[in-house]
Amino acid sequence: MKMKWYFGIMVLLALTLIVGTGCAKKKTTSTPPDVQVEVKDDTRWTPPPPPEEPKVDEAALAAEAEARAKAEAVEELSSVTIHFAFDSYELKEESRAVLALKANIMRRYEEVNVVIEGHCDERGTEEYNLALGERRARAAYEHLVILGVTPERMSIVSFGEERPVDPGHNEIAWAKNRRAEFVVQ
Amino acid sequence: MKRILIFLICCVFIVSMSIVAIAGGPLTVDIHGPGQRMVNMTLLPPKGLAGTPVPQAVAKAFEELIANDLSYIPFLKIVPVTEFLGGDPSKGVKGSEIDFKPLQLARVDICMTTGWNGQNIEVRAFETFSGRRIVGKAYKDVGSTLPQVADRFCSSFLESLTGKKGFFDSPIAFVRQEKNSKEIFTVLPQGRGLKRITSLGGYNLSPAWSLNGTKIAFTHIGKTRHELGIYDSKTKKITMISKGLGQTVISPVFGPNDRLSVALNRNGATNIYQLDGNYKPQRMLARSPYIDVSPSFDNTGEKMVFTSGRAGNPHVYLMDMKSGDVRRVTLTGKYNTHPCLSPNGRYVAYTHRTSNGHRIYLHDLTTGREKQLTFGPGNDEYPAFGPDGYFVAFSSSRSGEYKLYLSTRHGDKPRIISTGKGQAFAPAWDTSLQW
Repeated sequence: MKMKWYFGIMVLLALTLIVGTGCAKKKTTSTPPDVQVEVKDDTRWTPPPPPEEPKVDEAALAAEAEARAKAEAVEELSSVTIHFAFDSYELKEESRAVLALKANIMRRYEEVNVVIEGHCDERGTEEYNLALGERRARAAYEHLVILGVTPERMSIVSFGEERPVDPGHNEIAWAKNRRAEFVVQ
Repeated sequence: MKRILIFLICCVFIVSMSIVAIAGGPLTVDIHGPGQRMVNMTLLPPKGLAGTPVPQAVAKAFEELIANDLSYIPFLKIVPVTEFLGGDPSKGVKGSEIDFKPLQLARVDICMTTGWNGQNIEVRAFETFSGRRIVGKAYKDVGSTLPQVADRFCSSFLESLTGKKGFFDSPIAFVRQEKNSKEIFTVLPQGRGLKRITSLGGYNLSPAWSLNGTKIAFTHIGKTRHELGIYDSKTKKITMISKGLGQTVISPVFGPNDRLSVALNRNGATNIYQLDGNYKPQRMLARSPYIDVSPSFDNTGEKMVFTSGRAGNPHVYLMDMKSGDVRRVTLTGKYNTHPCLSPNGRYVAYTHRTSNGHRIYLHDLTTGREKQLTFGPGNDEYPAFGPDGYFVAFSSSRSGEYKLYLSTRHGDKPRIISTGKGQAFAPAWDTSLQW
């Protein structure tokens, strides 16, 4: 009977041992193995670009400013019209000032060509107005020539009373319509 | 000797009697006289010829067309048949079939008869006091050409009455406003035959006929310059000319020898130049350092009127083409423009600016007398003589927008010319039928 008990203990012990060694083995595998984990990452760290340093391309900048100035000048050249009295093609004092400015612009920008358009109010008759519009455009043209603009860069056309800016039938509208316009080509 | 004397006296007597007979002769209307009298006219009811019935609908349409055409003649008054004692005084279309007495009593000067035989028609006009036939015409197959037949007859009728032809057959060229452009059209004065000449875009202005009526010259304004446009009705083509003319081409008109005269600016001033056959400037006609535009010639080409700013304001001047002498025509007002010389060179119609707008005035170059022809409201501009020198077409804004109207050199009540949709300006009359 005692033998059986021992045997039983032995078996138990052996089992325990087996279990124990098994556990021990497991413990060993839990330690980090020799295998090196290779982290594959192609991306490299690159330093952030240095804060945008105003890299001065003087030429481009100047060209840009030049273009802007030119656009403004062209705008100035074409947006400002000069006005005349009824049945007159005489340049007023303020018109001469405007023309002086235009002459400066045209002398500065040699490649700019303009068409000077002469216009009249609706009160005259058509054919005489065509001639009058022509004289208005020509008065502006001749003044610009005196101020040093090459004649070849300008041409004139009279529209008479065909293209009013203000279609009204009153003195305010008529005064606006008696004008010379400058159209940049 | 005694016998010879008696014979001579008899001869003189006969000749003088026949002169008296001619002098007291047929009814004519002197449209060139100092004034004019009204002529009463009746359109007698249509009759069937050779026993055929009158096609009522067509006959009525024809009568309306004739009445409409004749309504353009200011000295004609249409008297309805209902005004006569005893109604229709005619049994047929011939003079012998008309009882002229009730017509004479009603002070009717002229009566017209129409006879129908199917699609064939006979039209006659009689003078009621003498029974003389003024004009008689027959037309065949009038079905689709009824308006043209009416025009033809009225044209012949007016020619017999006034000695001047062309009113119903002479087209008027004019400028019509389109959406963003102005284009040139033609129309007959009675409002028929509206025809488009240009579709160029831009502004096409100041049309003028050649002396033979086959060409129309005009100004074309593009974006950067003026050009001279010539329309040829034979080829239906438009030629544009700009070389050698400069930037400005104003008021082209055909003058002596059918050569164009036009206002150009070649040396700083706008002057009138005559062009050669190749449309190149040949010689300067009017020269001043100011504005000279709008030339107009008589049919002999001996006189030219034009607008000039040489006196400070625009005025009308007359140039003798042989001597080159220039004299000022308009002495009053501050703005007298767009003159038109009558084909016989006696009258100048022009636009006179008043405080209430432009008005058409007439200047008699023989007597120096002036007369206001139109009275607005709005602006009355662009006078143009008809081929007879009697009618004057012009453009007026009296209705709120510019339309063409017809008056006479006596200043008769203006009558609108139908030109379709859009404003109408710058009438120019084909005067070739009188030249």
